[in-house]
Amino acid sequence: MNQKVSISQWLSQIGLVIRLEMRKTFFSRRGLWVYLLALAPVLIFLGHSLSEINNRKERQSLNAAHPVSNEALRSIQRGATIEDVVEKVGQPFTKVEFHRPRASLDIYQYTDGENVFVFAFNNSRLTDINERDRDTIAKDSLIFAAVFQSFYLRLAIFFGCVGVFTNLFRGEMLDKSLHFYLLTPIRREILAIGKYLAGLIATVVIFCTSTFLQLAALSLHFTGSEISEYLAGPGWGHVASYLGVTAAACVGYGSIFLAAGLLFKNPIIPAATVLVWEGMNIFLPAALKKVSVIFYLQSLSPVVAPPDANMPALQKLLVTAAEPVAPTWALLGLLTLTVLVLAVAARKARKLEINYSTD
Amino acid sequence: MQDRIILDNVSRFYGEVLGVNRVTLSVPPGITSLVGPNGSGKTTLMNLITGLVRPTRGSIQVLGISPTDPEKLFRVCGYATQFDSFPRGMTGFQFVYSYLRLSGMSHDDCQRTTAFAIGRVNLGDAAHRKVAGYSKGMRQRIKLAQAIAHDPGVLVLDEPLNGLDPLVRAETIALFREFAAEGRHVIVSSHILHEVDTISDQVILLSNGYVVAEGKIHGVREEMSEHPMQVIIRCTRANVLASRVFEQDHVVEVRLHADGGGLLVKTRDADRFYRALNHLALDGVGIESVAPADDNVNSLYEYLIGGEESTR
Repeated sequence: MNQKVSISQWLSQIGLVIRLEMRKTFFSRRGLWVYLLALAPVLIFLGHSLSEINNRKERQSLNAAHPVSNEALRSIQRGATIEDVVEKVGQPFTKVEFHRPRASLDIYQYTDGENVFVFAFNNSRLTDINERDRDTIAKDSLIFAAVFQSFYLRLAIFFGCVGVFTNLFRGEMLDKSLHFYLLTPIRREILAIGKYLAGLIATVVIFCTSTFLQLAALSLHFTGSEISEYLAGPGWGHVASYLGVTAAACVGYGSIFLAAGLLFKNPIIPAATVLVWEGMNIFLPAALKKVSVIFYLQSLSPVVAPPDANMPALQKLLVTAAEPVAPTWALLGLLTLTVLVLAVAARKARKLEINYSTD
Repeated sequence: MQDRIILDNVSRFYGEVLGVNRVTLSVPPGITSLVGPNGSGKTTLMNLITGLVRPTRGSIQVLGISPTDPEKLFRVCGYATQFDSFPRGMTGFQFVYSYLRLSGMSHDDCQRTTAFAIGRVNLGDAAHRKVAGYSKGMRQRIKLAQAIAHDPGVLVLDEPLNGLDPLVRAETIALFREFAAEGRHVIVSSHILHEVDTISDQVILLSNGYVVAEGKIHGVREEMSEHPMQVIIRCTRANVLASRVFEQDHVVEVRLHADGGGLLVKTRDADRFYRALNHLALDGVGIESVAPADDNVNSLYEYLIGGEESTR
């Protein structure tokens, strides 16, 4: 009976701590940059979409001035002369000419309103055809996967969690107001759990909203039918998975930085250490790989971003998954790691002392 | 012993810096003052009692509860610290209410109890203003309200009278007395000695982390046989009384007041002196008043610690 009373009381105390912390985590001046960090990729994808919309408008107006069909452009073969090409598809919307005594290079650009075709003529013979296709959802989903894994998970959510979770205890120590909690009849472990959950709610709301807005921003330049088709296929699954991975990142990194805020006076040092550890995950032995959050997050990501040839070496390293495991195991592994780290944090909280002069 | 605060050989070091050393105390109910200059260990002792810091050595029990068990301790204990900082953006009412809710009270009970506690420290009019806009005295009082809100049996108050104007100071002291009269513990720290004199049932004198004396002020004074007790007597025929008093072997010095209406007596045995004085009074010396001249904390402190440290 007493046990039941304790548990219900603990749950009620956790709820009260969450309510007390909520305003601090959502509206603290110290946390403003977390919003900016979460907003940054939304702005990037929004910029990309707006530029795509503009490009499409421009291509359509160019096509109206120089009408040509996709089929006609695709029928052009290498070896054709400038005259052949102009006869078949008319004048280009852009023409660039370089002439030297015994050599000439002519570049003609055409558009069917969607894609851009670039024809390069050496000495009046077509030698190169470069097709710049308009973005497709399949193409953009790979771009999103690369940004999500290399920037969003590893930097934005990572540092966002540093900002929110290390401040839960450390921030109040700096404000010299933590002792008010410690003067109430609440177990310190319960306080740590309450604060963790408050931080988790804040980061999940902030970063999941950002993930959703990123996907929405990225899809702005697609037509309604394209989006419907995508959602009817893997679309909703991808959206749910990305939101889930975002939340899982907050769960994992949150526990680590809550513990860091309790164990270290300066959170920058543990944050830098964890950042390096997560970055070198791919080089770690199999057993050590499992002692990292990114290992599980990459396994949970719905789209694997293929490292392409043009990608910078560092980004290639960041998007390469290290021996992914099945999503169920990844989730279990992440939760186990989180529980272990939270146990360390709770133990530290239990022995927490107030000594503001040295903090 | 369940009604006492017991510290058994408690030491606390901050690295190599001494907080308190080998403190053994058994504090009964009533108002107990911790007295000592800055850095003497008053706050450390209070933080140890309330579990905000842990002892390096020794053990502590507060009414039979270990300070390592905050879940039980803070149902019977309230602590107003000297930290003058508050959670941001809260009104006085929200501040008391929010932390009170963690004790498991319902919303309605909490509202009522908060209003009552704030009323007891006469802060009702400012209850719904932001704490950030409070004066120093108001902040002291809202901390006190938070400490007493759950009606604790042990009230620990670090420099609670700092920043209070004389009227509020008197009201606050009356509140302490009210608590003590109900059989509760009120532990107050202060470095203002005359203040302690007027409110304490017992004192604990601290210096450099050590307890140098403890007990009722009068009792502590009597134990200091190397410093003769000083008694001021206002009377008629002061010169006659002076010569009669000086015949006593425990009297070491007698000084006549300049106006001839009284004398200062230094004696090594206060009990024998007071008995003798009764006989002398019967012999026709008109005694108007008898008062100890150095039976106060200031003198105790000076005798015990000497000139090496100063208090205000």
